[in-house]
Order: sequence, then C-alpha cells, then structure tokens
Amino acid sequence: MSWTNAVRTAVICAILIVLHYTLRPLLAWRASIDFLIIALMFGSVRMRPGLAAVFGFALGLVSDSLSPGAFGAAALGMSVVGFGASWLKAVFFADNLALNGFFIFLGKWIFDLIFILVGHRVHGWELFMQIVVWSSLAAAVTALAGVLAISLLRPLMEVRTA
Amino acid sequence: MARATRLSSRVDFLLFIGCVIASLIALVLPAQMREPLAESLRRSLVAPLVGLQSNAERWRTAWQLSEERTARLDSAVMRGVNAVALQTENEELRKLLGLGARLRTGFVPAEAVHNAVREDVVTTLTLTAGSRAGIKVYSPVITDQGVVGLVQTADPAISIAILFSHPDFRASAMSGDGTAFGIVYPHLQQGLGVSGSGYLLELRGVPFRTTLTPGTMVYTSGLGGAFPRGIPIGVVLRELKTAEGWTRTYLLQPSVNPARVTSVMVLTPRREDQRVESVWQRVARVDSATRNVVASGDSLLRRAAADSVRRAAAARPPAESVAAAGDTANRTAAAPVRRTPPDSTRAARLVRTDSARRDSVRRDSVRRESARRDSVRRDSARRDSARRDSARRDSARRDTVRPAAVRPDTMSTLR
Repeated sequence: MSWTNAVRTAVICAILIVLHYTLRPLLAWRASIDFLIIALMFGSVRMRPGLAAVFGFALGLVSDSLSPGAFGAAALGMSVVGFGASWLKAVFFADNLALNGFFIFLGKWIFDLIFILVGHRVHGWELFMQIVVWSSLAAAVTALAGVLAISLLRPLMEVRTA
Repeated sequence: MARATRLSSRVDFLLFIGCVIASLIALVLPAQMREPLAESLRRSLVAPLVGLQSNAERWRTAWQLSEERTARLDSAVMRGVNAVALQTENEELRKLLGLGARLRTGFVPAEAVHNAVREDVVTTLTLTAGSRAGIKVYSPVITDQGVVGLVQTADPAISIAILFSHPDFRASAMSGDGTAFGIVYPHLQQGLGVSGSGYLLELRGVPFRTTLTPGTMVYTSGLGGAFPRGIPIGVVLRELKTAEGWTRTYLLQPSVNPARVTSVMVLTPRREDQRVESVWQRVARVDSATRNVVASGDSLLRRAAADSVRRAAAARPPAESVAAAGDTANRTAAAPVRRTPPDSTRAARLVRTDSARRDSVRRDSVRRESARRDSVRRDSARRDSARRDSARRDSARRDTVRPAAVRPDTMSTLR
C-alpha cells in the first residue's frame, strides 16, 4: 500500500471513528450502526493481517475504555475480526457491493458474538435473543451503512495506475 | 521469497496471538487495575472522542427536552382549548338541568349532533335519542332559551329534527301579553338580519289592528297542536312590508341560535298536553325579583350613607358655625336654601349647613338680646342706686339744714 493510499485510508477510518462517537449517540437506535467495525473492515483489507489485528486491538481498547465493564472484550473481538478480514480479503473483498455488505455483516456479527460471550453481560434467553435478533439486526444495519460508505468512498479509494 | 512470505505470515500470526493474549489479560485484570488503565486512556488518547460523544449526548438530550417541552406545551394548549369548550358545555348543561328541574317530567334529554356536511344555515339536527326513549314524530325540541324545532323522523335509537330555520317549519305564536296571534315561518331571505345573524323568523298573519313594538317577546300559543303554550320563540325586530294589506308581518330574532345547540330537550306527548308557560315565566319572574332586590338594596345603601353624613355633620363643634355666623347670617337671609342639588347626599349636606347657620344666628341673637337686657338692667340699677345715694346725700344735707322738711318725691324714691 502506497503512502497516498495509507493516508486516504487513515482519513476515512478517522471520519468513521468520529461518526461512531457523534452520529451514533444522536441516533440512539436499539440496533445501532457500528462505524468502528466499518472502519476496521475498511482498514483491515488494506493491511497485513498482523497489522490489522493490532489496528483492531487498538480500536477495541478505545471502545473498551468508554465501557470498562468488559474491558478487553471489544479488543479481543476486533483483533479477531481485523485479522480475519485481512486474511480473507482475497476471498471476499471482490468488487461486489453485496459481497462487501455480507462481509461487513459477518464481521459485525462475529464481533458481537465474541463481545457478548466474553463479556458475560447477558445469559440464557436474553443471550439468545441478543445474538439472534439484536446482533443480527445491528449487523444488518451496519452492513447497509458500510455498503453506503463504500459506494460513497469508492471514487476516493480507487488506485490510479499510470 | 517463499521464506520471506512465511516469515511475514509468522509475524502476522504472532502479532495476532499477541493481541489476543493482551485482550485476555485485559479481560482478567482485577477492577482496581482495569479502571486506572481505562481512565488513563480516556484522559489521553480517547479524550477527543469522549468530548465528541458527550457533546452528541448533550445535543440529543437537548433535542429530547425540546421535544418534550413542545409536547407539554401542545398538551397544555389542547387542555386550554378543551377547558373553554367544557366550560361552555357545562354552562349549557347546567341551564338544561335547570330547565329539566322546572319541567319535572315528560321530557327526553338528547345530544344534538350537527350534520357532517357544513351548512351556512343549519336546518336539521340529529338527536341521540329516539322512539325507544319516548320520542315521536312532531315532538317539540326545545332548550332553556326556547323553541329549537320539531322531530321529523324518530328511529329507535336516534331521531332527526328540523329546526325553525327549515323551510317546512311552522309554529302558532302569540305576543307576550296574548293580544296578537300569528304563525311563525322561517325567514328565508337571509342577509336582512341583525349583526350578521343568519337565523331569523317571520311572524305572519298578525291582525292589522294589532301593532307589536320592537322588543316584544313572542311565545308559542299552543294552538297549532305541536308546541304547548308559552315557549319563547323570539323577539320582534321590526315590521316587514308585505303585499297583503289586511295582516301584518314581523321579523323576529329567535331566542335560540341553532348553530350553537349541542344539548336539547324533547317534550314527550304526555308533556305536550300539560302547560309549560310557567316554566319560562317563572324564570322571568325570578329575574325581575332579583332586579328589584338589587335596586332596593342600592337605595337602602344610599339612604344609609346620607344618614351617616348627616350625623357626622351634626356632631361637628358649634364654634365653627359661630365663627361663620356673622357672614352666613346675611347670606342666609339674602339667599334662599338651594332646592335642586345634583344628588341627595349633597342636598342633605347643603340643607344641614344652612340649618346649622340659621341655628347659630339664632343663638347669637339670643345671646345679644340677653346681654343687652343684662346691661340695661345693670344700667338702670346703677342709675337707681346713684339716685338713691344722691337723695340720701340731699336729705342728709337738708336734715342738717331743715330736718323736718322732706320732699315728697324723695320719700317715694326712698320707699
């Protein structure tokens, strides 16, 4: 990845992170958009898996610092998602919006699964509802937002070859 | 190349494993260590994001508060509007309850539902009571103010009434004193009303020899069979010029505004046979009695005020009147007491002042008379004693000269 692309990716990730802490509280949906996951997926596919895992770990720590009840759970989830996204980019990250959407959906859902299971926040029926219903809904919303973000930012991220 | 790739893969994997281990360590950290770590992150790296999040939360709270405030204001305005409507309805229902108490029996209360189609002049009403409640066709529909109309259709649960504004409405009517009779029709040529009222009536067929002055109350006469005698219909506004020369037609202002009617009473056939004129006349009597009581109360108050003023003037010290007596005596004598004061209190005050002046003048003259009399007495006494003294002196002299010679006048004086 060239420096230009790295800077562009960093700027876009920064915008998405800022959106996570400004737009998300304003919307305050029950199944809300996770802009951090979108930023992680967006950055991970442009990095090596190890670096993506570190990026995910850093984002996870930022997220955990604001909800210290399960400090480390988000870091673990995002590390796994970042590493997996970077490792699987050759398989999934084609030039297909639907596939990208599914990729983001999967990333968000896995993150939620890890976060909920490791954080020990809910149990029993509530855990089941959270994983099946609310996490799925949040993943779908995040996937939609991610697809929208990718389609909007694609012209910016196109690599111009001479 | 393959070796470099393998190496980098191992580095990636090791980094991943390192991240996972670090995450797990963070997870199992005790709360005493976890919280300072999170706090240091919040204060350093995450501080701008914390600021952004708190600002967003504040905006959201402000927006919610504004929405709540708007909703509260809306509901307050709605309650205010409803309160006005409820007050009006309460007043109307209270009046209707009063009418019900006066009628005692033989009526069915009903709500008047206006038609969904908006009319400039309301001609029909749907009533929420029907034949099951005892309402029949041609049953009179009234309010506490007077005639509203007649039932045209009586279904089991609802009925439809035509109002006095309906072209088919007729009612036999008479003047309040019973000297003039006629038939009341709706006044269909609208726009001739007073103060924009679209609801006017005509009293037709009044004998030519009978004239009704504006303001005369017109009641149902009880002759038509539909309405019992004595229900108010309206007030005479003026005479209408018509082609017929043998009867008079008068324009009436109805007692009831049909557009505002929401609750009515329907008289049942049993009640129609009984007299109802006392129901409205009693109200008129009570009104006039109330007016009389208020008027008499006013006059009593006025009289009491005048009495108190008079008593206060009488209790004033007489020195004031004595001082003014010299001037006022002449004025009193010259000018008569003013008889036409603007009000009774002032008149009483003037009369009192004049009488006080007269009294003081009288008292002064009496004092002067008595003083004059006293001085005259004192003068005459002094003169007498002086005479006696001089007589004694003379007699003593004479005695010394001629003791036997006594003058007859001095003898009498001495005696």
